[in-house]
Amino acid sequence: MIAYKFLAAGAVAPFTGFEWPVGEWIEADAADPCRRGVHACRTRDLPVWLDDELWEVELEGAVIEQERKLVAPRGRLTRRIEGWTPDTALAFGRFCARRARLRVGFVPVLSGYVGDVDKFVSQGRIAIAGFASARAAELRDGPAAYDAERLAQASWLAERLELEQP
Amino acid sequence: MKLERELACRQVVELVTAYLDDALDPVDRERFEEHLVFCDGCANYLEQMRATIRLAGGAGLVLPPALESRLLDAFNDWRTS
Repeated sequence: MIAYKFLAAGAVAPFTGFEWPVGEWIEADAADPCRRGVHACRTRDLPVWLDDELWEVELEGAVIEQERKLVAPRGRLTRRIEGWTPDTALAFGRFCARRARLRVGFVPVLSGYVGDVDKFVSQGRIAIAGFASARAAELRDGPAAYDAERLAQASWLAERLELEQP
Repeated sequence: MKLERELACRQVVELVTAYLDDALDPVDRERFEEHLVFCDGCANYLEQMRATIRLAGGAGLVLPPALESRLLDAFNDWRTS
């Protein structure tokens, strides 16, 4: 199964500090979400886990599908998604800012979110720009709007980066 | 409700020790890590905690048994209060 994985610079796992080798199978004794196993994303999960580098990962074994991630007992990095660059991240942030403006720019009690998202983008804090944009949508239209906004963000990323599903 | 699903910074600070002790259940651990992705302040706080633990662990401090016992009691009382 092909999936994706955001890593810190140098192919380092952001939460464990594990330095991922490229092309080498990494085995876990089990797939146990958030504890053991190879954690990865579907395209729809991408906006939640943004980081410096995006990699395609091949998963094997019984893959556990969770709300916002996949976990497998075995996986390997197959290629870096070269299209995920600081410029792409900035373009993504601007997309989130446009969406926030359209959603809540005219709602007095929520319009402050537009300025917040713009500020985050200008600071290069793209992950929180995406989160704040989704949160603004949620505050206007309810929890389903948060998910819809995250899906719109995921679609933008998948299309721009020419990712195959999942 | 999605609004309740996301952790606030204050909750992350409260949970950081449990996170480092691997004592969070998977749902809370995922929420914790999701928060770290977009919150530079909490990510820095976690890194500072890790650095403190590393440095303190390498200092070779040995507490007198009586003091250690008093401190553990105080921490236990604090956790249950």
